[in-house]
Amino acid sequence: MRAVSDDDLFHPGDRVNKLGLTNSGTRSTSSRLLRLARANWPALLLPLLAADTAGIAGPPWPLLLAILALILALLAPREAATLAPFALLAYGAYGFFLMHALLIWEKQPVFYGLVHASRGRYPTWQTSGPLGLVLTESVVFMAVGVGLLARPGAPGGRAVRRALAQLRGTGGQPRTVPPLLLLPVLFLWEELFSRTLWFGDQSWPRLVTVLIVAVGVALVVWLPRAAAVLVVAGTVMLGLGGLLWSGNVQWSEMFGLWAQTRGDPHFAGMGARVVPQSIVLYGGVPLDGGITRLFTGLQGAVLLGIGLALTPRLLTWGADFELAERARALAQRVDGLTRTRSDAAEAAVAELRRIERDLHDGAQARMVAVGMSLRAAEQRLISAEPGAALALVVEAREASSRAIIELRDLVRGIYPPVLADRGLVEAVRNLALDTVMDVEVSADLPAEPPMPIAAAVYFAVAEILTNVVQHARAETVQISVRHVDGVLRAWITDDGLGGADPARGTGLAGVERRLAPFDGILAVSSPAGGPTIVAIEVPCALSSVKISSS
Amino acid sequence: MRVVIGEDLFLLRDGLVRLLEAHGFEIAAAVGSAPELLTALTGLKPDVGIVDVRMPPSHTDDGLRVAIEARRAVPGLPILVLSQYVEQLYARELLADQAGGVGYLLKDRVFSDAAFASAVRDVAAGGTVLDPEVVSRLMARRVRSGPLAALTPREREVLALMAEGRSNAAIAARLFVTEKAVSKHAAGIFTRLGLSQSDDDNRRVLAVLAYLNS
Repeated sequence: MRAVSDDDLFHPGDRVNKLGLTNSGTRSTSSRLLRLARANWPALLLPLLAADTAGIAGPPWPLLLAILALILALLAPREAATLAPFALLAYGAYGFFLMHALLIWEKQPVFYGLVHASRGRYPTWQTSGPLGLVLTESVVFMAVGVGLLARPGAPGGRAVRRALAQLRGTGGQPRTVPPLLLLPVLFLWEELFSRTLWFGDQSWPRLVTVLIVAVGVALVVWLPRAAAVLVVAGTVMLGLGGLLWSGNVQWSEMFGLWAQTRGDPHFAGMGARVVPQSIVLYGGVPLDGGITRLFTGLQGAVLLGIGLALTPRLLTWGADFELAERARALAQRVDGLTRTRSDAAEAAVAELRRIERDLHDGAQARMVAVGMSLRAAEQRLISAEPGAALALVVEAREASSRAIIELRDLVRGIYPPVLADRGLVEAVRNLALDTVMDVEVSADLPAEPPMPIAAAVYFAVAEILTNVVQHARAETVQISVRHVDGVLRAWITDDGLGGADPARGTGLAGVERRLAPFDGILAVSSPAGGPTIVAIEVPCALSSVKISSS
Repeated sequence: MRVVIGEDLFLLRDGLVRLLEAHGFEIAAAVGSAPELLTALTGLKPDVGIVDVRMPPSHTDDGLRVAIEARRAVPGLPILVLSQYVEQLYARELLADQAGGVGYLLKDRVFSDAAFASAVRDVAAGGTVLDPEVVSRLMARRVRSGPLAALTPREREVLALMAEGRSNAAIAARLFVTEKAVSKHAAGIFTRLGLSQSDDDNRRVLAVLAYLNS
């Protein structure tokens, strides 16, 4: 049975038919559908939402729209699942506005969330019971929308997820005040002035509304710290206001009176008794005394609590971000070290393997041959065949000569003798002497780098020189080795063809791998036509005493 | 002919002693560390010193340093350096004093004992004997400038064999030409390298040094 990859979940239309139904049995098809449903279940919210939205039009529209949305969800579940949270947010916000509209000026009954809501005779909380349902539903829709965006992997929800991570202090985010909270806080503040902002009959108040939101978004993006301060200050003030308003309606009336002085025509059209109370809303609740005081007080207490709980986080803001930054850097470093450590271990083992194989197939085998030849010569001497014995001894000597040559080459590859004797600078000079072209070395180190780094840099330079000889068609090469600001730098410049690409071929990639365990880097500048500059940099201290070259 | 041997591995030291004695050399001293070797070389002033590069106490290039120091103390003291590996850098350092009487060979050259003994004698006589491996790496170098660029390919061949310490007769045999032709090539080499004044042995040393420094 073919394994189902994650990819299948998002492209069911063709794959289920082509692969799932034809290649697999029913069990695999049903399990595939199950996985599909599990990954993209928010898509199924779309038909419900569609039915709800169409409720105002009456039958058969809700059913029709729901079926259409269901078809969309089945044909393109991934897209539908992506769309769902935004649709919920929009529909929730619409409900919120609808409720305000009903309280303030809308006289026609509205349909929202299976609820027929109308203002009733007076636009008060008590007389418009269903308004409470509208408010509740709109808040639930918005909350579900935010919740869906916060799902891991949900497209478009990165800001929401980051804000939640900042609230909890998880996922590499500092435990601080999420600047994104400024948007709901602004929303609540604007609501206090909804009469004059959202539902004014002139266009400029709406412009102001949009401007305030735009400024809020700009703050969140560019001045997150200022946004966070506003979040806390705004929440604390809202909370205090809520508590005060729950105790003294006069405060709320001040807002109403302020609105009145703006000379709003709607104001005049409403009954004098209800006007002041109905205009100011606080968290979806009109400040009109009575039972709503309880809601206002409760909300105020909650908001004040949230604001006060967040306050200390403002004080540690800088330190928290620094810590999170450090934690992130550490995590990255650990990742890098884990990778290079395994690379280094692999390289070391491969190197040992190579040495073992070279010894086994080379020197060891030859010494066995030497022993066999000598033994045979012994027998020839006993049986008095000196001519044959001589030939065998000569053979043995030649075999041991070859073994010595092989051992010498092997030793050179393990740790070059000049590097062991004289250190990096002299070893590089010797490399230059062994190169067929003119190599100018300008190297000066006050002391020796640690042995493993010296070896890595030596072999890197050797590999680069080999590359130059093989590919660059250069006439002269310059090598510079320096130690500046705690970094060992080796530059190899040639006047060859250029066009060297570290991504192609294994030479330079091997050099990079060799340097990586020491946090060393390799940079190549090689425009077509040359010159080619290969730079190696390895951070290190020059610790051991310089080996004198006299 | 008195020889001082500096070699830290007993087996090899013993083998060298036996080999050289078999070829009629007199062993003045055979020592196993750099300080002892320096004392022996400067104190006994042998006809030739045979020195291993890697020796105690530091087991790096102690032998080579002793060789250079001894030649500074006793100018022209003939030294044949033996090593498991040959490096151009070390060859240059050995020849830098331009005094001749220097050899630099891989250890396994002792297998051909007759050739080795003759190399020891050449060095003792003030000649320069470089290992063919050093010379072959020199030959591989592209020379674009300097006096060596002016040499003909044949002259470079002759110079390479000269660096290996071969006499004109040996070079002639190797290149299948007459000894006279080799002399002519050698004269050409000396002229082009600007070495016409001094005596022949010293000119050979200087020519090889010019070769090394190219």
